[in-house]
Amino acid sequence: MTRALFQLLYFVRSAIAGLRGSPLPTGVSILTIAVATIPLGGLWVVTGNMRALLDQFGSELQLTAFLEPSVRSDEGRSLAAKASAIPGVERVEFVSQEQALERFRTRLGGSALVDALEANPLPASLMVALAPEARTPERVAAVSEALHQIPGVEDVAGGETWIEGYGRALRLVRSAGIGLGSVLALATLLIVANTIRLAVYARRDELEILSLVGASRTYVRVPFLLEGIVQGAIGGLCGVALLYAIFQLAVPQLRDALELFLGWSDPAFLSARNVGILVAGGAGFGFAGAAVAALRTRLT
Amino acid sequence: MSAAPAARVPGPTPRAGGDPLIRLFHVSKSYAAGQFALRDVSVEIKKGELVFLTGPSGAGKTTLMKLLFAAERPSEGQILVLGRNVARVGEAGIPRLRRRVGVVFQDFKLIATRTVEENVAVTLEVIGTPPREARARVFAMLKRVGLQHRRHARPAALSGGEQQRVALARALVNEPAILLADEPTGNLDAELTVEIMDLIAGAASRGTTILVATHDLALVQKYARRVIRLEGGRLVEDLPGGATA
Repeated sequence: MTRALFQLLYFVRSAIAGLRGSPLPTGVSILTIAVATIPLGGLWVVTGNMRALLDQFGSELQLTAFLEPSVRSDEGRSLAAKASAIPGVERVEFVSQEQALERFRTRLGGSALVDALEANPLPASLMVALAPEARTPERVAAVSEALHQIPGVEDVAGGETWIEGYGRALRLVRSAGIGLGSVLALATLLIVANTIRLAVYARRDELEILSLVGASRTYVRVPFLLEGIVQGAIGGLCGVALLYAIFQLAVPQLRDALELFLGWSDPAFLSARNVGILVAGGAGFGFAGAAVAALRTRLT
Repeated sequence: MSAAPAARVPGPTPRAGGDPLIRLFHVSKSYAAGQFALRDVSVEIKKGELVFLTGPSGAGKTTLMKLLFAAERPSEGQILVLGRNVARVGEAGIPRLRRRVGVVFQDFKLIATRTVEENVAVTLEVIGTPPREARARVFAMLKRVGLQHRRHARPAALSGGEQQRVALARALVNEPAILLADEPTGNLDAELTVEIMDLIAGAASRGTTILVATHDLALVQKYARRVIRLEGGRLVEDLPGGATA
């Protein structure tokens, strides 16, 4: 085995000894990261669910291309095929004049008013559903313009206003998430750095001795960085576990309110991938906190 | 402070000679403008010498020691230790220097959370010595200082003399060219003082160059080695071995 490998083994053993040898500062660091992970993860759960909700609303969004009265049903179907080829269009449904009237009648609950009509006043139309990536004001305008260009299309309606609101809401959720997340992340980093710095301070005698017997700065600091990573990962994991417990307790209480106001009552927890990112983030915070603490510790 | 021993003991025969391992050229150190901890000190110490550095409190003994293991930088002058100019050695060079210079302090400076064996082993660990080799060398060193049976104890369970022997074992286990001992017996009684000093003198007889800072004149007389005396930061006496301090 090489000398470098022995040093690596030393770093790992030293980090483990450090974690076991100072349980109080280690516990405080883990707790700090765990507590800090909860609001960060909570924010992620909320913004994730808001996005899912908005996407769900967005998937119901569609444009309606009204066709000229002269367009026959078979021509309408061919126009539907043309509309399907427009970039950003997910699917197109042709609705004939008869189908439109039938839907109108159904919506009115079989009204005598409809039966009294001498002729069908409703135009045939194309119901155009948009792909998720096309649900932006610019893309909707482009699809609308392309539909207008198809011969036989008289008018295009719907969607722009809603889509603008949808886009704004999505941007707001995203910006709030990034803004709040950044503030929380910075606060977490400072708290973790100071907590780990206290742990480093508690072991300053050991650091001084290592320095006196010829340990390089890197040699003295690497075990602390490893400890920071381990503390951060454990803290992140504990934080996610606590957040999951809070989620499980809170969702049944909120279900009725969600159903009432949003028509939606099935919020999701973080995906396994996002849990992994949060734990890795905790490890990253631990590392960064330890690095800040180690760099600010003066050695003899 | 220990009681004065009854008579001088010559100690092991020194093998001093050859090129100086430590050289100071007009070295001064001031912490505040006009206040010198050391002033214009020039001295040479040859390989294998055991030298006592004496003087009252505040004479500059500890400052001189700190300059030699690069814990401080001189304000003026040059310091050569093992051929390196300590005044100019870079940050990366300091650990390399310290691996060849063992240091012992009055307050032992042991790691409280580690065992005796682990405390001694840190000197070998920092240079990447394979664990099996390190264990063997640590055991041999602890045997030399008479503490092999306490190797699994923690410092708090040891007496002051035992703790200083552990500190000495840690400083010597890497067979350094130079040993710096700053008041190594300052916290020990007369009997333990002799015990520790005999171990230090033994290291000198094996060729280690040793500088012992002490204000215990009885100790200086007993070992009858070269004495450098500081007062108010100035070198006021440099007596060869055998002369009365």
